[in-house]
Formats: sequence, structure tokens, C-alpha cells
Amino acid sequence: MMKRLRAGLPAGAVGLMLMTPGAALAQADAPDPATLLADTCGACHAADASGALSRINGQRKTPEGWLMTIVRMRLFHGMVIDPATQATLVHYLADTQGLAPSEADDFRYILEREPAVVEQVEAPLAEMCARCHSAARIGLQRRTREEWNLHIDFHVGQWPTLEYQALARDRDWLKIAREEVVPLLAEKYPFKTDAWDAWKHAAKPEATGGWVFTTRLPEKGEAYGKLEVSGSAQPYAVSGTLKTADGEALPISGKLNVYTGYEWRANLTIGDTVYRQVLAISEDGSALSGRQFLHDEDSLGGTFKAVKAGGGALIAGTVPSTLPAGSKARVQIVGAGLESATLSGALEASGGTANDYGVALDVAPADDADGAVSVAAGEAALQGALAVYSHIDSLKVEPAFAVSRVGGGGGSAPAVKARFAAIGFWKGPDGKAGTDDDVRIGAVPATWSVEPFNEEAEKLEDVKYAGAMNADLGIFTPSVAGPNPERPFSTNNAGNLKVLATSGEVSGEGQLIVTVQRWNDPPIH
Amino acid sequence: MRHLKPLNQKAERVTRAVTQDKMDEVRAMQTIVAGCASTLDPGWEVDPFGGVAALCQPMEADLYGCSDPCWWPAQVPDTINSYKDWNGDADNAAKDWRSLGTVFPSDSET
Repeated sequence: MMKRLRAGLPAGAVGLMLMTPGAALAQADAPDPATLLADTCGACHAADASGALSRINGQRKTPEGWLMTIVRMRLFHGMVIDPATQATLVHYLADTQGLAPSEADDFRYILEREPAVVEQVEAPLAEMCARCHSAARIGLQRRTREEWNLHIDFHVGQWPTLEYQALARDRDWLKIAREEVVPLLAEKYPFKTDAWDAWKHAAKPEATGGWVFTTRLPEKGEAYGKLEVSGSAQPYAVSGTLKTADGEALPISGKLNVYTGYEWRANLTIGDTVYRQVLAISEDGSALSGRQFLHDEDSLGGTFKAVKAGGGALIAGTVPSTLPAGSKARVQIVGAGLESATLSGALEASGGTANDYGVALDVAPADDADGAVSVAAGEAALQGALAVYSHIDSLKVEPAFAVSRVGGGGGSAPAVKARFAAIGFWKGPDGKAGTDDDVRIGAVPATWSVEPFNEEAEKLEDVKYAGAMNADLGIFTPSVAGPNPERPFSTNNAGNLKVLATSGEVSGEGQLIVTVQRWNDPPIH
Repeated sequence: MRHLKPLNQKAERVTRAVTQDKMDEVRAMQTIVAGCASTLDPGWEVDPFGGVAALCQPMEADLYGCSDPCWWPAQVPDTINSYKDWNGDADNAAKDWRSLGTVFPSDSET
């Protein structure tokens, strides 16, 4: 059976595990996953009286967490495992010892590879854990108290200089780790939870069927489309169509794995570009949300929202989501089960033409129209689905702080680009622009440029060396990796840049750090 | 200073600073303003001032000072325990950095 599965794998295909039909292992001549786990891991992990394996039996993780664990066994301990078995075990462990949707909710950004999140971490976890890796990395694990304790031992043994990073020169770090951090972790992220018990026994949402979505592509902008998910075993087949705001239609095809009943991981070819989706299906099965990004450049992507077709009326969003006043436009209400729609607020319209993606409405906002527009269609409604604007009072750059990395040049680490959006705002009730009560319009077209962030950046000519900003797209492409003999002391093409966006009379700014590459790039940072 | 001879660019600048009575402006280990530090300040990506001018650059000049004692193991593969042969084909990081691989296997995806 294993041989037959492997023979079916396309060598070198993107997302090898997605092509591996793990569920097919349930066939009669294959060992069941529990036996496969015991056979694969039992040589090192002792079984207790119930057959549960040491260490493994006290942990719950995301699919990426289990994948990283198995890969670590391969790389650090020489475990030999074929891709099909690895895929089956990741599925099995994520399904039987995963996280409930509510347990993963706060930390989805790290799974989604969101490139510009600044975590706010409190003591003592900030000093003990988050100096090296994200706090989300621990927030996406659940362990027994004994397991959290062993986790410290593992860190000290594997990375001995951890003591310095844990500030051992200034404090009794191990005492703090044992007596403060372990109890805190055991309380915050315990192995046994009501949420997991409930989710483990709950009916799981269906991934198969039709979905209607909105998203934003890095270069082509706002888009919408539909997906059809089919198959009786994983990976499921995905097909569909994506339409850009300009009307271009691109075919979609790919494969989907679903873990823990809701963790959606797909590799999809849209047009001729491979994208990856890290999404979560809502517990009631009606919606899908997360981030879609370029498979090979995960810093470039956008929010992805979908609703399930075949049920009642549901609205995912509108394309466009922001509309300049005073000109005619077609607004696509993206949703399922919609026959007509009504717009209310700063723009009034009703009717429309039903299509495969919802309802399209031709609108003509007045020259001075400003404000949010809500959509109603049948039983469905979405407040503030889009905004019409005749003017913008202030502009913010999002993300306000981003990191890009030099890369390429013959090295193994690719350059990491950064993408910015210009978000328009109106003045709030206080009549002042740039204050907390400002009203968000949404993403608006802008012209982009970079400047030195400070005096050092100017002296080192960071603008000249660090890379180039696309004036229309807000995408920064960093320069090549390696020492640069043209710079002082052959310094790298790093830089500290001010990112400037201008839209009409208003402008906004952010900060971009162009820094060096990383060679350790696991699914969870 | 009569018995000391500068061996690199920075040492030459120190010698020059002595002759110009500008030793007050000399700071150790800096591209322009500051330098590497004892723990994770500066970080791998950003220096203690929130910029990059005070990172140890070019990074390749001291890269194995990071990988050998596993200084930034989340970003740089440590050769003390985890990836012992990571720089086996790259004796001189400044010249051989292209031979250094990323360590998470590309065949593994959820």
C-alpha cells in the first residue's frame, strides 16, 4: 500500500504533502494511523499501559506544530520517515491532539504567515520565550504541567546558550522558569480543556461543496470568485474561477487538506501563479476566513473571506470595497443565495443582476457622497460593506512598521518583499484629522516612495542600496544579499526607510526595516 | 601607538582619530553608530535603536560567531547541536555565504 501511494506522487510537486492521500490509508491493507504512530515513534517513545507514547501523549498542537515536531525528529535525531507516513501522522495527531478553533483564534496570524505583526507580550513570557521566537509559537501549544517543564529541559539541552538569552547573568532564570513560567503556561495553555473536549466530539463543518470568496491579490488588487471542493478523501480537489475588479477571469485548480475539522490548507494555482491558503472554516460551516498568499513569497498576500454556497443567503463582501464619489461604477456584492441587493447609507441603490458570485449593481454615487454603505440581500446583511468618498482627510500606511529581507544573489534564502496599503480616513466628531475618532474609509489608490528614516540611513545611503519601491503598487523589492563592497565596511544592503504614500492632497508614512536573511524558516516562526 | 600597526579598515580609522584628537568619537564595533551586544540586543533583524545601522554588518563577517554558540537559533541554524554540518561547505562566510542552505525541508508542508 505504501509503495502504491508513493508511486502516485508527482516528484518535486509544490506541496508534496498536499498530494499525499493520507485518508486512503484507512483502506484494509494499510495500518490504521494509531498503529502507524506506534510503529514509527515507539522505538524511542515508550508506551504506557494504555499504549499512549511518552511526550506525545501530553501535548496538543496545530498541524504546523506537529509537522515541525516530526521534522525536528528527522533533522535532530535521524528519524527516517517517508512523506506519506509523515503526512498521515500530521493528520492523525492534529485530528486527535489538536487545538479547538477558540484555542487557535488569538494566534492565527503566525499560521497565516502575516508578515508585519508586532506582538505585545507581557512578563515573564516576554523575557523567557519571546526574545527568540514569537509568543504565538507557545500560544498554539497545549501541554500538561509536566510537559511544559520538560520543554524547558529540552531547550537547555538543545540550545545551551539559551541561558544568556534568558538573562541568566542578571537573574536566577531557571528558578523563574520552573516556579513562575511553568505554572503560568500550565494555567494559560493546559492540556485538558473544555473547549477541546467539546470540539473533539462536535460535528465538524463540511469543506466540500461550493464557496464564494473575496480577497486581494498583491498586484491585481481586489478580487472575488468561487471555489468548488470535491472528493471523498483528502486531499480534496479544488477548482474555480477568480475575477479581478477589472473583470479579468483566472482559472483556479489545486488541492486542499483539512486538519482538526476546520484548519484549511490549500495550494491553488490561480492563472499561472501558485498561491497558498491558510484558512479556518467557521464552526457552523457557513464561512471561511484567513489569508491567501503567494506560495513562494508568503509576505505578499491578502485577507480571504468566503461563504458557503447552497444554504441560505450569505454575503462575503463587496468588490470594490471603496468607491470614489461622482463616477459610475459596478459593485459586485459577493455572496451566496443572493437574487438582488439593496445598498443604503451614503449610496442608495437596489435590484441588480444575479450572477455566479452574488449580485452586480450599477451605481452612480453623487459628487459629494461620503460615508459607509450597507448591503442587504434577502436574509443577509452586511453593515459598512463599502465606503464612498469624495474626499480623504488623512492617510495611514498599513502596516505602519514592516520588515523586508535582502535575498537571492545565488544564496538559498529568497528576498522577502514588503507590501503596503494606503488607508484613507475622514475626520471624526472632533473635527481633527489624525485623531482616535477618525473614521476609516478603507484602501485607496496612492503613489509610493521611500526616504531615509533618519540621519544614519541618509549617511549610509540606504535608499540607494536597500531596494526599490513600486510607485503604483506599494510593493518594496529588497536588494541582493551578501556583503556589498560599495558600502562602508562592505555592509549588507540593509536599510531603515520611511515609506511615503500620497493620495491627492493627503499623505501618510510608515517605517520599513530592510534587514538580513534568515536560514531557519519553519512554518511557525 | 608606536608599536601597534592597524590591520583593517576600522583600525586605520582609530589611528586617524588619534592623530586628529578625535578618540572621543570612536565607538567599538560599529558601522556608524553602535555595535553588537551581549544578548539579543540588538536582535537579528533590528538594532537597539530600532534601525539597522548598528547591527553587526556585514552580517557574514560574524555569522559563525552566531551559529557556533547558537546565538540566534530561531533565525540562524546552530552548529553546536542542531545543524552541525550547516556551514561545512562554507569555510569563509563572507565569500561562501551562497553555500549556506535554509534548513526547513521544502518537502514538508501541511
